[in-house]
Amino acid sequence: MQLLDLRVLGKGPSHPAPRKEATADRSIEDLPAPAEVCLPLVQHLGDPAVPVVKKGDLVRRGQKIAEAQGSGVPLHASVSGKVKAIDRQPHPTLVQTQAIVIARDGAAESLEFPEDPEWRSLAPAEMLERIREAGIVGLGGAAFPTHRKLALPAGVTVDTLLVNGAECEPYLTADYRLMLSEPHAIVEGAGLIARIVGVSRVLFGVESDKRDGAAALAAAARASERGDVRLEVAIVPARYPQGAERQLVTALTGRVIPPRALPYAVHVVVQNVATAAAIHDAVRYRRPLLDRIVTVTGPGIVQPRNVRAPIGTWLADLVRFCGGLTAEATRIVSGGPMMGRALPRLDVPLVKGMNGLVLLSGKGPFEEGYGPCVHCSRCLEACPLGLEPNQVSIRVEAGRATESAEFGAEECYECGACGYVCPAQRPLVQFMQLAKSALRKQRASLPAGTR
Amino acid sequence: MTESVGAGAFVVTPGPHLRAAETTPRIMWWVNAALLPTMAWGIWAFGPPALEVILAAVVGAVAGEWLATRALRRRSTIADGSAVCTGLLLALTLPPLVPWWAALIGGAFAILLGKMIFGGLGYNLFNPAMVGRAFMMASFPVAMTIGWSVPGPRNWYIRLEAITTATPLGIMREQSLSAAIHSIGGPEGWFRLLIGLRPGSIGEVSVLFIVVGAAVLLARGIINLAAPLGVFVGLALITSATGAAWLHLLSGGVWLGALFMSTDYVTSPNTRPGQFVFGVLIGLLTGLIRLWGGYPEGICFAILIANAMVPALDLWFRPRRVQAAGAPS
Repeated sequence: MQLLDLRVLGKGPSHPAPRKEATADRSIEDLPAPAEVCLPLVQHLGDPAVPVVKKGDLVRRGQKIAEAQGSGVPLHASVSGKVKAIDRQPHPTLVQTQAIVIARDGAAESLEFPEDPEWRSLAPAEMLERIREAGIVGLGGAAFPTHRKLALPAGVTVDTLLVNGAECEPYLTADYRLMLSEPHAIVEGAGLIARIVGVSRVLFGVESDKRDGAAALAAAARASERGDVRLEVAIVPARYPQGAERQLVTALTGRVIPPRALPYAVHVVVQNVATAAAIHDAVRYRRPLLDRIVTVTGPGIVQPRNVRAPIGTWLADLVRFCGGLTAEATRIVSGGPMMGRALPRLDVPLVKGMNGLVLLSGKGPFEEGYGPCVHCSRCLEACPLGLEPNQVSIRVEAGRATESAEFGAEECYECGACGYVCPAQRPLVQFMQLAKSALRKQRASLPAGTR
Repeated sequence: MTESVGAGAFVVTPGPHLRAAETTPRIMWWVNAALLPTMAWGIWAFGPPALEVILAAVVGAVAGEWLATRALRRRSTIADGSAVCTGLLLALTLPPLVPWWAALIGGAFAILLGKMIFGGLGYNLFNPAMVGRAFMMASFPVAMTIGWSVPGPRNWYIRLEAITTATPLGIMREQSLSAAIHSIGGPEGWFRLLIGLRPGSIGEVSVLFIVVGAAVLLARGIINLAAPLGVFVGLALITSATGAAWLHLLSGGVWLGALFMSTDYVTSPNTRPGQFVFGVLIGLLTGLIRLWGGYPEGICFAILIANAMVPALDLWFRPRRVQAAGAPS
């Protein structure tokens, strides 16, 4: 094991406290199969899946219910039962989309997924196909189809696989508990990914407040040591946004991903620990992605827990499993509280990319408006990339968003560290988004060749 | 579909959904609180006239803020504490026996033409308190130069008649450096300078109590020392030729200016290197004015001139961007 420090995150006035105490000691609990699940056809970045079942059909858990289309992935029934409806349903990010609703039938059995004895020696193309067929997307929150991320463009070479176990979002502990309970699945999954992309070096990155998680991974790595792949576990300082892809790549390899480029530009592939475990299941057992682990936590929930729940579980069922809402609950956040989205209600399904459900209390940001920039420089010290959110925000307010390029608007990946520290409660991330869209429009209007 | 749970209305706001506890009003009120020690010392040393001046300047500043927000039909911003802060800072730089009405007008002017005319908090180029003081020096030159008294309850209402007997800086200017040093006396005299037993502006005389207040802001992470250090370095550099850099560093408004005005967020540069250079500029200009300019004290104009340099300093001293080593691929 080695300790690597990330230069740019050492400074700064304040950063969000991890606040992971409520669930850090709660091992993963299985949600009893819910009475109903709602499976949106889009739970990934890409084309929506096309249903291959119809209303009234009996389906078994694990059965494919929608076929992949274009750049998308297929969808599977996460409980056994009857297709109750295929229509528009709520969606956590898209508001409403087509979804397949399944009413559980206790009598129907799940499909079996026996081990493939040849699983360690499959060809990369076969592994990629199993990953696609399993409907796997990035489980760290991005929900990008994993088979596409692992199918590198021609001419691209990578030398390092980075497995992200940093989990820097405050409150969330789902990845941490997975590292403790299933380190072997993560390590084996990482070994499979290494073979797919053809690298011999695998680096696990874990934040320093999860040393036992790192130790579990290291033990599993030693147990599965193989000649062709070198596995290392690195501890990084626990400081938001350490787990952001760009930060972790720089921390562990010293390489800096150019603005708007993907990690393979610096010969690195990054996968989240939960995705690595899912890849292991998909390749070894041909088991589709049926459940996910989600941290249900925050001051708004009675019993914070880490829950393994079928994809499509209504969030209200998750909340009920965790003892219900406290009197002070005022806000629902899907994902982590820094980069997640607020939801207006709980009759929304759990989707593949949702790693947290955080119930917060008190007023939301900007509920009482925001003040002018007083040039306190806190955002400058908080920005992990050295951008200037203050300057961007002032220009956007003045209607001169296109002048914000030199302050780094386009390089911002919206970690929210600036918005967290701003004493004027300014919506700095949203100003960045406005600046980006103005700059995008401006670029598009320029004649080709001058862009 | 599931019932009851989650039927209530939840608030949807953009992220990040967590916020640091520090807010602009909290910061401003902390600055005001940090000015209390030196203010209390000033009131003890210079008595009811000093209290009168402080109240008048604060009332003037708050009234100016109220008037401007009303005229512009904006939400009142008095509660954010910044107008009180401007009034306080202005008062602390005034001679204790300045007429109250002059302080009142100065406070209102500081806010109206130092801050609100630029668009309010955050948009002003110049330190509003210093704009107010410069305005008072131009408008009430006599009142601003004969308003001194000797500290201590027995001397509260006794006006020092001649400027030449007033402050060490005044003596240095009108007579000589050795006379100024002589006026301080031995080690006990230096101690009196540190604690604030000397004639001077209400809140500028006590280095000790200014430092106590600034230490609170430093501990809370509200200010940093880049700019103040620059002020001391700059002033020491230019006054070392006279052989009395220490006297200069301990005199006049250097400490209040360095710790409470060169650290003003709005009118100082954004990055620490920029702040340091800004401080050095203030120190150099203060020394220049004291040694060769038309006034015994120079920190007020030094700050105003350095304020004008801030936009340029912000362009020259930028945060260090994390850059990719190679060309984007």
